[in-house]
Amino acid sequence: MNKGIIVFAYNSRKVDYSLLAIISGGLAKKHLGLPISLITDQSTVDWMNENNTIEKANEIFSSIILTERPQSENYRNLSDGNEIDNIPFINANRYSVWDLTPYDRTLLIDSDYLIFSNRLRAYLDSTDDFMIGKSMTDLGGERVGTLDRYVSETGPNLYWATNVIFNKNKDTKLFFNLVDYIKENYNYYSELFRFYPRPYRNDISFSIAKHTLDGFTTNTENSLPSIPTITDKDILVDVSVDGKLTFLINQGNNDFVAISVKNQDVHIMNKQSIIRNKENLLRLI
Amino acid sequence: MNFGYLLIISKSDLVDYTKLAYALALSIKNTQKEGIDKVCLVTDDPQSIKKLKSPWVFDQIIEYKNKPGWDNRSDMDKLTPFDFTVCLDVDMLFLNDCSSWVEYFVKNTELFVADRALTYRGELVTSDYYRKTFTANNLPNLYSFYTFFKKNSEQSIEFFNLQREIVSNPVEFSNLYLADYKPKVVGTDEAFSLAAKLLDLPKFDLSFPRIVHMKGQVQNWPWPADDWTDHIGFYFNRNGLKIGNFNQTDLIHYVNKDIITDEVISILEDTAWKK
Repeated sequence: MNKGIIVFAYNSRKVDYSLLAIISGGLAKKHLGLPISLITDQSTVDWMNENNTIEKANEIFSSIILTERPQSENYRNLSDGNEIDNIPFINANRYSVWDLTPYDRTLLIDSDYLIFSNRLRAYLDSTDDFMIGKSMTDLGGERVGTLDRYVSETGPNLYWATNVIFNKNKDTKLFFNLVDYIKENYNYYSELFRFYPRPYRNDISFSIAKHTLDGFTTNTENSLPSIPTITDKDILVDVSVDGKLTFLINQGNNDFVAISVKNQDVHIMNKQSIIRNKENLLRLI
Repeated sequence: MNFGYLLIISKSDLVDYTKLAYALALSIKNTQKEGIDKVCLVTDDPQSIKKLKSPWVFDQIIEYKNKPGWDNRSDMDKLTPFDFTVCLDVDMLFLNDCSSWVEYFVKNTELFVADRALTYRGELVTSDYYRKTFTANNLPNLYSFYTFFKKNSEQSIEFFNLQREIVSNPVEFSNLYLADYKPKVVGTDEAFSLAAKLLDLPKFDLSFPRIVHMKGQVQNWPWPADDWTDHIGFYFNRNGLKIGNFNQTDLIHYVNKDIITDEVISILEDTAWKK
């Protein structure tokens, strides 16, 4: 069984997702010792050519898989510390990973998920057909709200599609088909499960698909561990040569507290702060 | 094995407890293993049974006169006709076979009171919104809605006698043992938990019984909820029960008595007749 990693990246006017994918892909490849492929579109590749990052991309990715750019009117507010920007969010074809992956067993990661340990390797080496992050852990403290834990106030558990591992077989095909169906009927599902339908979130589609296929029950057994997360209101301020990441954790009222992590996989939702630290992060690959 | 479920009700102007007990008894007959599905109803109004289409779901009916101000569940050990009993609150429904719980308790203990509850999402209830007395006074977190006991066993005699003392003398026991947060009423749950604490009864670490407790404030919702049916739906048919977006397979303590409509009764009867 060939195993590998997949990361998606479609550049928007405001976020260089291709650079995020190069960083996250390079770190994942280094720490998990597996090949990685990029799923992207021609315009993002053109940008990498213009921006001279294509060479690095070719070094890291064993294949660059081109798709049509997903149509999207999906926007979301993304913070960079205290700054807020409304950015396009091109995420609507994540379900197609089943068809696009060249691997029998795939780890799908978000491009803002930076891997600094081999923790996920054990899950990749297990045999469960499908695993997804069962929750998120706020590294900055106790800021996890109801809608970080559930699809809606009264709805099912919110699983985090930041990490997904799956075998390519007919059972998981059914799962990804259902994710696509939920995406296509997102307004209906938002009524049924009582969540706000804008912006479209893969986490919600994946969660509802899992909840449905689990017989409308919660089943967090055989899930991936909770995702260590730094929110977009926090800021990555330093990356040291030994791999220590230092963050400013937003306490509100313009108060920030510094924390550091090392050898720890981390979901950094503040994408611009990853990009500001690109040189140091690329040095760690 | 002479085992049975004991349901104790009293006549009320507000709630038709006979109807609730009938729904529970039907659900027992529909789901529990033969031999572990006997039901005894204790009531102060045996005439009310005559209106039921299938009174046979009660294997025994015991008439018991209600003492004013007294919860007859405190006398469950005296009232039961069975050697081994599970006494249930009547606002409950079985959806699956839970006979294995009974088989375990019969084999392993003389007394067991449920010590945990689940939300409709299957999470362990951790909120002590309704149980400040328990937290403040460090009582074991017992729920009398599912109580197993072996009749005339040493442990159950001691336990039930002491809880009757507590219920009969609530002020004295509250002053002595519940001083850090006195309950408005020393109910069966408080009395059972205090008796268990005073007797230092052994604790269990079991994954069952799995009982969904539908009190509104313990459902991990971010808003106040007196009545859960204001927030999520109850969808019952021959295939099972969904509460909100969740399929239910555990024993349900539904709390809101209005959900047992004639339609629910009809579905339960239909299932029983076709079994």
